[in-house]
Amino acid sequence: MATAQELVERGIRAYVEGRLDDARRLLEEALQVDPGNSRAQSYLLLLPGGVGRGPAARPPRTVAALGLPRPVSRSTPVAYPAGLATPLSFLVPRPTPEPLPAVTQAPTPAPTATEPPAPSPEPAAPQVDYAPSPWDDGPASGPAIVLGSEGGLDLTAVAEKSDLRTLVPRAGRPSTPQEDVAVWMTAAKDLLALGDFSGSLEMIEKILKVDPEQAEARDYLTRNEATLVAMYESKLGPLGKIPRLAIKPEEVMWLNLDHRAGFLLSQIDGTVDYENLFALSGLPRLDTARILAGLLADEVITA
Amino acid sequence: MSDQDPVVGIDLGTTNSVVATVRDGVPRVIPNRSGQPLTPSVVAVAKNGKLLVGSLAKRQAITNAENTVYAAKRLIGRRWGSKEVEDARRVLPYQLVAGPEGNDIRVVLGGKPVSVAEVSSQVLSELKADAEAWFGAPVTRAVITVPAYFNDGQRQATKDAGRIAGLEVLRIINEPTSAALAYGFGKKLEKKVVVFDLGGGTFDVSVLDIGQSVYDVIAVGGDTYLGGEDFDRRIMDWLTFNFAKENGGVDLRQDKMALQRLRDASEKAKCELSGTPTADIHLPFLAAAGEGKAALHLTKQLTREKLEELTKDLIERCVAVTEKTLKDAGVRPNQVDEVILVGGMTRMPRVQRAVRDYFGREPCKGVHPDEVVALGAAIQAQALVAPAAVGGEVLLLDVTPQNLGILVVGGYFQTVIPRNTTVPTNQTHLFTTVQENQTSVRIAVLQGESDKATDNELLGEFVLAGIRPARRGEVAIEITFDISADGIVGVSARDVDTGQEQSINVTATSGLTEDELKKIIDEHLDDQLEKKQSSADLERSRGRVAAVVAEIEALVPAVQKALERSRFGRDAVQKAEGVLARARQAMERKDTDELASVAEALERTLQLFKGLAAAPPDGS
Repeated sequence: MATAQELVERGIRAYVEGRLDDARRLLEEALQVDPGNSRAQSYLLLLPGGVGRGPAARPPRTVAALGLPRPVSRSTPVAYPAGLATPLSFLVPRPTPEPLPAVTQAPTPAPTATEPPAPSPEPAAPQVDYAPSPWDDGPASGPAIVLGSEGGLDLTAVAEKSDLRTLVPRAGRPSTPQEDVAVWMTAAKDLLALGDFSGSLEMIEKILKVDPEQAEARDYLTRNEATLVAMYESKLGPLGKIPRLAIKPEEVMWLNLDHRAGFLLSQIDGTVDYENLFALSGLPRLDTARILAGLLADEVITA
Repeated sequence: MSDQDPVVGIDLGTTNSVVATVRDGVPRVIPNRSGQPLTPSVVAVAKNGKLLVGSLAKRQAITNAENTVYAAKRLIGRRWGSKEVEDARRVLPYQLVAGPEGNDIRVVLGGKPVSVAEVSSQVLSELKADAEAWFGAPVTRAVITVPAYFNDGQRQATKDAGRIAGLEVLRIINEPTSAALAYGFGKKLEKKVVVFDLGGGTFDVSVLDIGQSVYDVIAVGGDTYLGGEDFDRRIMDWLTFNFAKENGGVDLRQDKMALQRLRDASEKAKCELSGTPTADIHLPFLAAAGEGKAALHLTKQLTREKLEELTKDLIERCVAVTEKTLKDAGVRPNQVDEVILVGGMTRMPRVQRAVRDYFGREPCKGVHPDEVVALGAAIQAQALVAPAAVGGEVLLLDVTPQNLGILVVGGYFQTVIPRNTTVPTNQTHLFTTVQENQTSVRIAVLQGESDKATDNELLGEFVLAGIRPARRGEVAIEITFDISADGIVGVSARDVDTGQEQSINVTATSGLTEDELKKIIDEHLDDQLEKKQSSADLERSRGRVAAVVAEIEALVPAVQKALERSRFGRDAVQKAEGVLARARQAMERKDTDELASVAEALERTLQLFKGLAAAPPDGS
């Protein structure tokens, strides 16, 4: 089962790509897993109808009113072979798309098309969790593929010979880092406009992990660093406070930390206050503040 | 200044420093403000620009190596270009540059060149502040210890460091002397004592004759690059090697954060092994394992046997140096009455065994190895200001730490006063000319241990002119060295036949001119004043803000009541809460800028509240 964070990220991606219904569904699923998830709530506010669709829901807040970019709309509908629209329908369980069995496990592997259609270029694939359903794009068009007399359908062959993309999990077709960066950057801006600084920063960190020199992300970080640092520091409380380990030292091993958090945690020995931890961490103030706020929120440390 | 004002003794060590005093006739160490007896002699400018001194500076010494100065003692009073400085430059991660005159050293700290005396003064200031916190009164006088082999320039530089820190340095005394003084405190001793001092960064061995309240250093020797840090490094190397072996070649030496933790853990394990046969080393999340992978942990057990195996050669070096020093002094191990162990490393059982095996006797266990030098300095300090408090005046006979002499033909060094000569003293030697009809001679006064003049420290030079023209070797020139009790070296040269005479007084310099020193002291005082003022300003701001906050809080009920009957400003209380929260946070964080900024908002809120609270019941 997906975690709330995974669902939120998928929801954000769907929102950024203009798949608002998917976005809503994913974000609401995230809220079911984690009812207090502030990022899910933030993004739901962006969707028409806000949180929940019922009459009691908040009045719709338009994206424009928040000064946010509008979700993108898919401008290049994918054309599907007309002849395959009906045969494929039983494979597409709308409205809840589920991953199909792997296409290579088709019960009857057999040659199919007797007249292969003219090769068409691979469409520029938008980053989606699932390939779009043919129904989303209106009437299909394109040359028909004639099935062989033995019957059966080799979806692999069909995919190779047409621009039809089968409904398979995204994992089968990983997105490129550049595409991810664009999505994350948009999400970072949206979250910042919503006041969700930490969510916004997470997005920026993802970008910088992929491309440490990404100019827009760097610029964003510079412009917002003071705000972000202040936000994390406010979570810590007075910087003169001395944090202490809130768990047994032998339990530290079972946490999920990276080596930088491990280093910072090793410096917390009940003698050093937050301000001095910033000085001796050797990390940028923002990173130190974020790690400390995380450790405090996870109740690994107490002050 | 009254005799009742506190005085302290300071052991200004290469790796750690200690401050002590005599209270109610008992010498005792003053713990630092973290409650520790030892303060690391480390000064740093952290990556966030904060000046760190002591354990905090040490804890980021590897992650911020280029801006962390440790072992400043190896550099203090040294001349730029000297062998010791060149050796140091090869191993130190921080940058050294020549001073403005080109003959002394500056350390680049936080991008700014500072004198070594200034760096050491930061450590002294920290100790002074610790002592002041302990006494609850200002501390302005101290005795500071230095290694017995320190030359006059190094001693002067240490004094300068004290002056910069705001301390009147009553006396500079030798570390072994100080240790022996603490050891002999309250006892009537007449013994030949060896002080075996294995500290964090240096190893010193000294032979002393202790008479009735007289402490005479008769020989000193050592290795300035042998100490506890070398033992730590062996453990680190062992851990690093094993970690790589167990984790597919992950090299911790490439990761500064991991190295910092390794060093701290190695030192801790080493100390533990002095008391227990094994030490467990746990370093969770020590290193990154690669993208998407969990961080790697280090878990290892180190045994005492393994540590001894890893450091066998270091201990052998200590014994070899001891052997040479005793040989120089003409003292056999069985003639030594007592061996005093100094320095944390002498707690290591294998070191104690090596000492016992060499001297054929148990080393003295009655003194605390980390504290003994500072305690001795405290006794000396007390003896200087109030001798009665320590049972009468303690007479310290110090010796010349190195040979003193002049440059002679061929670039050689001719000793006039050998090292370990008790001061005050004077010695005269006869020299002659090397050229036909030579009418002048250059007298270069040097201090050091090498036969080659260039390897020794040049203290000063002068020219004796007007020599009677004669064949070479016929003219007799009398060179006299005179060392006063204050350590001032006077050198005179006299043509025996004509009576023509020239002389020079060599006053030790730290490398800083008096003007530079005054400027630094002024700046230091300004900084202190600024700190005090800014602290006073901060307190005033906090006081003002607190008063307004209280006033607003007192008005809240009245304002709420007023708002119930008003059509306007219903969110005033909510807004005010925001301002109050900001103010409380600024007060807690002692943020001067934020206090100033929030003061205006508070003032506006107060005026608004006053207006609302005073509004007539029907006002709207």
